[in-house]
Amino acid sequence: MAALLEAIAIRKTYPGGTLANDGVDLSVQSGKVHAVVGENGAGKSTLMKILFGIEKPDAGELRLEGNAIAFANPREAIDAGIGMVFQHFSLVPSFTVYENVVLGSEPKSGIRFDREKAIAEVRALSERFRLNVDPLTPVEQLPVGQQQRVEILKALYRNARILILDEPTAVLAPQEVAELFVAVRSLVEQGRTVIFIAHKLPEVLEISDRITVMRGGRTVGEVETKSVTEQSLATMMVGREVSLRVERGQTAGALACEIKALKLVGDNGATIAEDLNLRVHSGEIVGLVGVEGNGQAELLEAVAGLRPVAEGAIYLDGADMLPLSVLERRGKGLSNIPEDRIAQGLATGSSVAENLVATRLDDARFVRRGLLDLKAIRENAVSLIERFSIRVGGPNSAVGTLSGGNMQKVVVARELSEEPKLLLVNQPTRGVDLGATQFIWKSITDARDAGAAVLLSSADLGELLALADRLVVFYRGRIVAAFVNSEALNAETLGTYMLGLETQEADTMRSALR
Amino acid sequence: MNLASFGREAGRAAAALVIALIVAYVVVLATSQDPGAAFTTLLTAPLSSNRTLGLWVDDIAKLTLTGLAFSLIFQARQFSMGVQGQVYVGGLFAALVAMSPIGATPIAIPLSMLAAMAAGAAYGFIPGYAKARFGASEIVSSLMLNYIAIRVVNYLVRAHLAPPGTGQLMTEPFPPTAVFPAIIPGTRFDLGIVIALVCVVIVWFVLYRTSWGLKLRLVGHNPKFAEYSGIRASAIMVSAMTVSGAIGGLLGAVFVQGRAFGKLSIDFDGNLAFEGILIAIVARSRPLAVPFVALFYGYLRQGAQLMGIRTDVPTEMISVVQAVIILLVASSFTVPGRKALARLLRRDEAPAGATAGVAQK
Repeated sequence: MAALLEAIAIRKTYPGGTLANDGVDLSVQSGKVHAVVGENGAGKSTLMKILFGIEKPDAGELRLEGNAIAFANPREAIDAGIGMVFQHFSLVPSFTVYENVVLGSEPKSGIRFDREKAIAEVRALSERFRLNVDPLTPVEQLPVGQQQRVEILKALYRNARILILDEPTAVLAPQEVAELFVAVRSLVEQGRTVIFIAHKLPEVLEISDRITVMRGGRTVGEVETKSVTEQSLATMMVGREVSLRVERGQTAGALACEIKALKLVGDNGATIAEDLNLRVHSGEIVGLVGVEGNGQAELLEAVAGLRPVAEGAIYLDGADMLPLSVLERRGKGLSNIPEDRIAQGLATGSSVAENLVATRLDDARFVRRGLLDLKAIRENAVSLIERFSIRVGGPNSAVGTLSGGNMQKVVVARELSEEPKLLLVNQPTRGVDLGATQFIWKSITDARDAGAAVLLSSADLGELLALADRLVVFYRGRIVAAFVNSEALNAETLGTYMLGLETQEADTMRSALR
Repeated sequence: MNLASFGREAGRAAAALVIALIVAYVVVLATSQDPGAAFTTLLTAPLSSNRTLGLWVDDIAKLTLTGLAFSLIFQARQFSMGVQGQVYVGGLFAALVAMSPIGATPIAIPLSMLAAMAAGAAYGFIPGYAKARFGASEIVSSLMLNYIAIRVVNYLVRAHLAPPGTGQLMTEPFPPTAVFPAIIPGTRFDLGIVIALVCVVIVWFVLYRTSWGLKLRLVGHNPKFAEYSGIRASAIMVSAMTVSGAIGGLLGAVFVQGRAFGKLSIDFDGNLAFEGILIAIVARSRPLAVPFVALFYGYLRQGAQLMGIRTDVPTEMISVVQAVIILLVASSFTVPGRKALARLLRRDEAPAGATAGVAQK
């Protein structure tokens, strides 16, 4: 069968000399889900930008149904039936779903905007492709997963035959991923073609028919999904054997952190979490399981001193933490890898060296009598860059110029450089490629082996099951279940508690809470 | 910052300047009987005598100080517009010291400068505190405080500080001990420029060599990150606005005690205080770049003013020319502006695109 869309020997060099694509081939069959996988920097995004007319290739050819084509801009790509959904949406928050969808190509009757027709068309599209979005809701009231489906509707409304989804699952919770996949399957059943960019391999294996693997700006292979495993795909992507297994902790040590009857209240007075009781021992990782928004992130913020506590107590090594400031808590051995590295974990406009000492500006090694010791700050950066193999031009490079994985390594390096007693980790590998994920996991387990008590929250159940020694499940701000991690425990079991479908016996829970 | 990017930015500023001058030439052509002479005045008048050189140097000093005041708060990502008000309260307090018995003693100059800085700092603190405590927008509160300061100072000068019965809108001249000594006699080349350059070094040192400066810049880059790191962002913000206020107040002292005035008059700042915004934007809020920007900008500013005095170009058009220069220079430092400029000049297109790409990430 002839390919619907082909890219042949694409080459693209960015100004500044970065060779983003060098001999990239892609051949997409009609009516299939074609995944493109590769680590960050493998050239996936550049290839997609070329397919969508945002970038022009320096060499190579694009063919649509066998005919050579060249897009000068995205408009031409859209006219040719290609639609793209970016990771970052471009929606007008205060407009309704249907207004966003038709914006720019509104149905008219005379010169008047035909609202009835617009609503009807959007509703019909939504039903036909099982996207399940109400056309009359303002976009700002929708969860992220539905906003993404509005973007898909926009492309479909413009008659996209080929839909490019750029890392669509990166922003989604597990349930939303499932809903997205329902829509994707419905799209291909009705003859549309989906190009799916990703680096989470289990998802790729679940949804795609064929997979193109990219590495270092080249295509390294195209395979049938049926014929590969996660391990073989990972090896292709990274170019060497990758171990995604981590060693379990040996034995948990003494009690490090104790959380007692903690209650958290939001700014508007609503209870976020209550009756939280949790003990974390030195040398163990406790995983916080739950759909996002059930209180895990808030618990970590409260322990870090970034959120007020309404009732209850938090102890570290027997000392009450609540009266202490963020810096004082850090002085007691607390480290914190936050959920969003760009929004909270880094100052992207500042240099790597400055980011690496930002949490220690009261430390006499770096600051004396209010003056910075630039030499010590630089040496600290040089040694951490080396120890955590951060790929960066030098200590004075701005953090914003690094890739996502290397940015996260800067955060990890800063937080793990001092052998923390209590380590808080939230979404450590979100949007991070496989190589960096492996490295970050290793860094966390190394910290655990060095005696840190770790509280880990993640939307990725695979990550929690891989790393955690014990798991507690949050549902509506309460701990509803607790498990000692074992081979027998799986994501499905956790899922039933996460969604509140099952409750655990008090005794069972107590024994796992230790 | 490396040399290449410095060169690129300087080149961009120069290109914008050339375009601005072309526009200015068109304006002059349309409004003057003798456009050639008028334009020559614009370009060369500041160099025509020791006196005009002094005017230029005086402008550099003042533009540098206001540029520094704005750079400091811009680095903390605050948008207080209060330098003008600080200049007025600073000028008032410097004048009060200069006209008191202390004014006739050798400590008159340092003491009045200190009084001005204290007053400016207090005036800068108010919008900062209001923002930290009540969430009041510092843009609005600082602009309102500007009006209050200007009107109150004008009122005090007219009704109380001017010699009674004369109808003058200025005070008596300060005693010579309270006026900055001229470095070149008979010109405005006085202590002001020295003060400005010392301030450049101090502000640079404070921003890049002290922990307060690093905290301030981190707050400016990402306040959430600062909080997460244990930096008290609101305290840093208030202190940045206070220190910037002290520089604004000092500028007030430089105004009234400089050889240009040597007394307190109404409306003395001639809106120069606000031009610090432009200086800070073009200098990218980097203290060491501020005096260089002030050097070029001050030259054009004086050239335009002298063109207004010496030629038949109408005074309204002088403001138009100045505004065009500001517009073009400032917009050449925005991302789309850089791209447009690169395309227009058909040079440097690739590097400009590359830096724009980084900026957008």
